[in-house]
Amino acid sequence: MVVTAKTTDGKEIGKVEKHYHPQATNCRDTKMKYGAQWKVANVRDTSLQPAQAKKEAIEFDLPAGIREAIVTVELFYEAANPANKYQIHSITRKVSLDR
Amino acid sequence: MRFLKLFMVLLFIALPLAAFAAEKKANSIDELAKMYDSSSCKKCHAEIYAQWEKSHHARSLMGVKGGLMLTPLALKKGTPGSTAFSEDDPKKMTIKNFPCFKCHLPQAVISAEDSVAVELAEALLAKDSAKVGKLQITCIVCHNTKAIIHKRELGEPRKNVLYSSKAVAQHPDGKYKAVEKSAIFKDSVYCGQCHGLGPNLEFDQPFQCANLYGSYLHSYIPSGGAQTCQDCHMQKGDHLIAPNFNDDKGTSELLAKAISLDVQTLGYEWLRKAGTYISKVVVNTKITQTAGHRIPDG
Repeated sequence: MVVTAKTTDGKEIGKVEKHYHPQATNCRDTKMKYGAQWKVANVRDTSLQPAQAKKEAIEFDLPAGIREAIVTVELFYEAANPANKYQIHSITRKVSLDR
Repeated sequence: MRFLKLFMVLLFIALPLAAFAAEKKANSIDELAKMYDSSSCKKCHAEIYAQWEKSHHARSLMGVKGGLMLTPLALKKGTPGSTAFSEDDPKKMTIKNFPCFKCHLPQAVISAEDSVAVELAEALLAKDSAKVGKLQITCIVCHNTKAIIHKRELGEPRKNVLYSSKAVAQHPDGKYKAVEKSAIFKDSVYCGQCHGLGPNLEFDQPFQCANLYGSYLHSYIPSGGAQTCQDCHMQKGDHLIAPNFNDDKGTSELLAKAISLDVQTLGYEWLRKAGTYISKVVVNTKITQTAGHRIPDG
């Protein structure tokens, strides 16, 4: 998941990525491995679990004088390698500090 | 009488030879592909066959979008990217050097000589996708080779018999003349044979591929889930068994159907200390999913 906040004229304020997937090592060192032939067991699992919600609260501090931001949340699935992406959702919100 | 004796002697010689011939293993990729060829199924099961042809089962050694995922195993031992299963010469490769065959090519484990592993290693190194692509999880693999798991009670899958969710007394095929009912064909355990529990610790070098069935058993079932793999991935008998990662649009649509994203935002001025306001945007995200297993997994 990639969460991006930009000013209304397109300048990036901040970007946060969250990765949801099981993570395995070969159990002989502490390096995460890609590829079944190198992985032996999961050491951490941040994947989306059945019947469980994955919640995040992401904060962006706005630069001085900026009172509006365009926030985009994109959810992708990556298969085989990070470059091979399938977009699942893309949601954009305009957030203002003024009423 | 003499003729009868001669006939009996010849029969005793011929029968074991015939049996040996039947058990003969494939020496080449072409021989193995021919042994498990299911192209004759297409004649009567055209729609199912067309679905299967687009499936990952039909390109089980190809990975996603034409990748040759077993290549690291074929690389020369000690070279960058090689694995513990690699050898210093592809000609030394054996069936045991490809533990992935357990699921990606189960027929090789029981029906292939080591020469098939050598040929595959050489094909992988030559990036010969056409040759590698001949090795598939065909109809025969699922409907015969992997069809019985209760082998102490039911025995090995019988030759010339197919297994499915319902029996067909007279199956109009030249080789497979009967279809027997298999009790597990509609059960998740059937898919669980390959769509894994976790580390494959039975090998002399453990490795881990799919965890999916483990997730189904230990996460989805405890959460009250009651659907099977087939309920979701083989609706109306669909043998594509989605996802098909070569289909970007279809994959995105399938994922969007299973995964929901809710986004709530808040803009306000945070009071860090007296007189010091920080303009802040908060983005609250909530992702839920309806699959019977963790996402991602395989």
